Amino acid sequence: MILGLVSCQEEVYLEVGEGPELPVIEGIWTNNSIYNQVRVTRTKNYYDSASYRPIADANVYLIYEENARKIRFEYSEQTKTYLPVFNEEGRPGRRYSLHVEIGQNHYRSSGILLESPQIDSLSYVYKEERAFRPKGYYLKVHGKIPFAEDNFYRIRVNRNDTLLTGRSDYLLFDDTFGTAAFENGFELESIPFRKGDEARLSVYRLNESAYDYLQGMLGLLYNDGGLFTPPPQNPISNIELLDGDRPALGYFMVGSVKHISRVIE
Amino acid sequence: MKQVVLVLIGILCWLGNSPLASGQSKIISGQVVDVLTGAELLGATLYWKDQPSTAVVSDDQGRFSLPSISAVDSLELSYIGYQKQIIYVPAHSSRELLIRMIPSAQGLAEFVVEGKSQFVHSQSTDLGRNIIDVERLKSLPSLFGEVDVLRSLQLLPGIQTAGEGTTGLFVRGGAADQNLIQLDGAPVYNPSHFFGFFSVFNPDALEQVDLYKGNIPATFGGRASSVVDITMKEGRPDRLHAAGGIGNISSKITLDGPLFSEKSSFLLTGRRTYADLFLKLSNDASINSNKLYFYDLGAKFTFRPSDRDKLSFSTYFGSDYLQAGNLFGFGWKNWVGSADWKRTLRPDLYLDLNAYSSRYRYQVEVMDNDNGFLWNNLLSESGVKTTLSYILNSANSFEVGMKSQLFHFRPVEMSTQPGSSLVPVETNPGNALLQSFFVLGESELGTKLKLETGLRWSLFARVGQGVEYQYEDSVYPSSQTITDTLYFSRLQLMKFYQGLEPRIAMRYSISPSLSLKASYNRNYQYTQVATNSSAGLPIDRWVLSGEYIRPLQADQFSAGLFKDIKGGVWEMSVETYYKKYQHLIDVRQGGEVLFSDQIEAEVFEGKGWSYGAELLLRKNTGRTTGWLGYTYSRTFRQVAGISLGQPYAPRYDRPHDVSLVLQHDFSKRLSGNATFVYATGQAVSYPVGSYVVDFQQLPLYPEERNEDRFPDYHRMDVSVTLKDKEKGKRWKGSWSLSVYNIYGRKNPYSYQFTDIINNDINFTSSSGDPIYSKRPGVVMTYLFTFLPSISYNFEF
Repeated sequence: MILGLVSCQEEVYLEVGEGPELPVIEGIWTNNSIYNQVRVTRTKNYYDSASYRPIADANVYLIYEENARKIRFEYSEQTKTYLPVFNEEGRPGRRYSLHVEIGQNHYRSSGILLESPQIDSLSYVYKEERAFRPKGYYLKVHGKIPFAEDNFYRIRVNRNDTLLTGRSDYLLFDDTFGTAAFENGFELESIPFRKGDEARLSVYRLNESAYDYLQGMLGLLYNDGGLFTPPPQNPISNIELLDGDRPALGYFMVGSVKHISRVIE
Repeated sequence: MKQVVLVLIGILCWLGNSPLASGQSKIISGQVVDVLTGAELLGATLYWKDQPSTAVVSDDQGRFSLPSISAVDSLELSYIGYQKQIIYVPAHSSRELLIRMIPSAQGLAEFVVEGKSQFVHSQSTDLGRNIIDVERLKSLPSLFGEVDVLRSLQLLPGIQTAGEGTTGLFVRGGAADQNLIQLDGAPVYNPSHFFGFFSVFNPDALEQVDLYKGNIPATFGGRASSVVDITMKEGRPDRLHAAGGIGNISSKITLDGPLFSEKSSFLLTGRRTYADLFLKLSNDASINSNKLYFYDLGAKFTFRPSDRDKLSFSTYFGSDYLQAGNLFGFGWKNWVGSADWKRTLRPDLYLDLNAYSSRYRYQVEVMDNDNGFLWNNLLSESGVKTTLSYILNSANSFEVGMKSQLFHFRPVEMSTQPGSSLVPVETNPGNALLQSFFVLGESELGTKLKLETGLRWSLFARVGQGVEYQYEDSVYPSSQTITDTLYFSRLQLMKFYQGLEPRIAMRYSISPSLSLKASYNRNYQYTQVATNSSAGLPIDRWVLSGEYIRPLQADQFSAGLFKDIKGGVWEMSVETYYKKYQHLIDVRQGGEVLFSDQIEAEVFEGKGWSYGAELLLRKNTGRTTGWLGYTYSRTFRQVAGISLGQPYAPRYDRPHDVSLVLQHDFSKRLSGNATFVYATGQAVSYPVGSYVVDFQQLPLYPEERNEDRFPDYHRMDVSVTLKDKEKGKRWKGSWSLSVYNIYGRKNPYSYQFTDIINNDINFTSSSGDPIYSKRPGVVMTYLFTFLPSISYNFEF
């Protein structure tokens, strides 16, 4: 607020270096097959505005660790991602390992697909405009978190079929402040809706390493490079390098997902 | 270490018994006071006219002592703002002198320098010390018209700033939490207003600012890098005086005068900003519902029950508050209080007893019926310090004493409303006792060598009530691997540390105006700030040493050449230093320290070192005064788990640093001031690429930290002061016009590597506008370009 009163901003061009080209792996494995995919890309020059530089020749598979069953993925030119060869989905309580082989480099990451919390309903309330909050309808998620541990959650929000991906649209929470969040109604304070909008929420229960990665990523998105923010660092990946010499960026998210939606009337 | 102690004790004993210290020569002693007010004058310089190297400086009670000589000679006295005096003293005189100094016509405000005069600069053992005359600071250009003590210290060599406008001090490679900033002996934990843009000290209420960054006398301890010893003014006992000012963002008033009788006096001071009053003028509800202010209140009472006793009580209270609508409020408060008793036991023996208490509290409130909370914390420190000073003769003096400190860091508490979905959080308290003993000797060994030897012995006990966690791996504790929890009752010992802190300084006079000085200092610091930001925040978490976090140890070696030119009109010095740190802490990536009860699991421990050379050329007298300072320095840290475990430069590592301060009196009424600063850009990390995850374009940073640099920083500020015409009245007023950053340099405050959407750096997704373009870009934020301010100051 104080900085806002006395500061000015402008876009500048800054000479930046060029680091080694690194693979980026983004794996999602849930109990809903439509989300399950692995994206493998390369890093690029900072000012390169291309959205992705996909790697299409990787060997990607998932292993259900209990019986060592292999779930194969193949590259889709249409989505530029790797999709399961057979339309499969994860099951709660099982541990899965994602393997990606790119040339001589072999990467692995694993996690347990945890059960979803109880999601009962979605309510909303109209709020007038005030400082830092536009007027609009604000959602509340009702339900219950019955778990004593592994409470790491993410809520993704669609507004009229559009997935909200701004940094202020990230909703991440754990049990630092208890597990009663849903019982009194968990309010989505940063996302206003208008009358007639359809809101669709996806509630993910994550493993801690994936949650930490997203927290690190969010910290980076909010890092303004100023004195009051930590030195910028890449989020800590939960993908380990088994063979080879080139570490990977990105993360593997294995978790359950539940949906709920409502039209604002 | 034992050998070091024995050697030091041996040196001190030898000094006490040496012929030089045998007391064969007579001592002439006395006191220097203001002829009008009777106030004791600290820092007056006295020397035999024919032997300038005998110069001594009066202490904080105006006392001095020097050997008489075998022939009639004249004793010269000089003090900034007063007329020079020459007193003829008979041979072997040993009488007590009371010297009344007469203010010069121009008065103090026109003179500018640190309390030095000819040859004192080169002949003392001070190394890395600066005494700042607060009156001088008032004429320096300022930000928003607010003269700031701590910001002005950044104009001295060896002191870096975190960034534009901030008052945090980074002294010779040390972090901001390594400075002991104390007001009349009481430490101030957060000496900043407005998130560091202003310091808490109202210059009108200050007598002197004494900075030690090299040789820190053994009488001080507890912080690794520097001591900023600030003395509040005493009230003048002659009549009621007032001084004040009206500026762009604040106004201030200071009153002082006699209290009951001429043997006692008072000083009251206050300052308040009025930004919030302007906010209320807005018709926009999102603006006029905000609050933003700070204020300071200070008081000092001085009593002289006898010629040999002086009692003083001082206190300071400062408060900041920021409220955004009815969303949240954020405030912090400092309170310090101290009591001091100075007694002359004998003409050569003085007692100083100081007791203090310091409290720092912050509070964050989120105003929401469902998810609101109140988060607060309180840090407190209390202590008693006793110092006995013995002046054996003009060549030898000693100080011994002890200091007892009690630290109580209350739990970080977050309370919620009934029915809230949030669970209240409360950490465990932190308590500790620190007992220090110190001895200090200052001796002239012949005509050329002067030695200051000191030793401080600190004993630190972390005590209950508290909790200690046991981990599978005690070297690398992790919150995931707690094996046991130990509970400690009140005052039960949790962990004990002790250490000897030798302080040695010497001066060798190559000639009466040229000397070589060197020093070695060790300091232990038993409390550190665990933070991952570069500038201090009001909610910074102070952490006491304990089972896992060891005391910070700093060793500094420094040496320098000091030259007085033209009888002290000019001064020049070159100082070099090498400093090393052990047991520094740095927050690990993603570490959460604000609410954590396991700080040890959120930080890494490492080491650091810094070195540098500082050049200072200063002109003390004449119509044009000022100084030029240049520093070349480097600072490194090496912490396992950060920057691949390799050495890295902290953000405030800025190898080249230049400060130019000029003041010129155009006439008796009009004076002008200019400051120019240049510094290498801050050490930062720039991305070396980018990648996309979860629809986000993320900058790719190198593993090595702070390998890049901001552009060089430079800025010029100017000010002019016009005094009201003298009309023989008591009222004296002056207008000051100040311009910060006169040529409008856009010094980057930050670079944000982010997506530029729709070619609009201010685009927000909540606007609902369609997105038609998105590309990686860099947004620079800069502060304070060409910022004029005006103020009117007065006194009567």
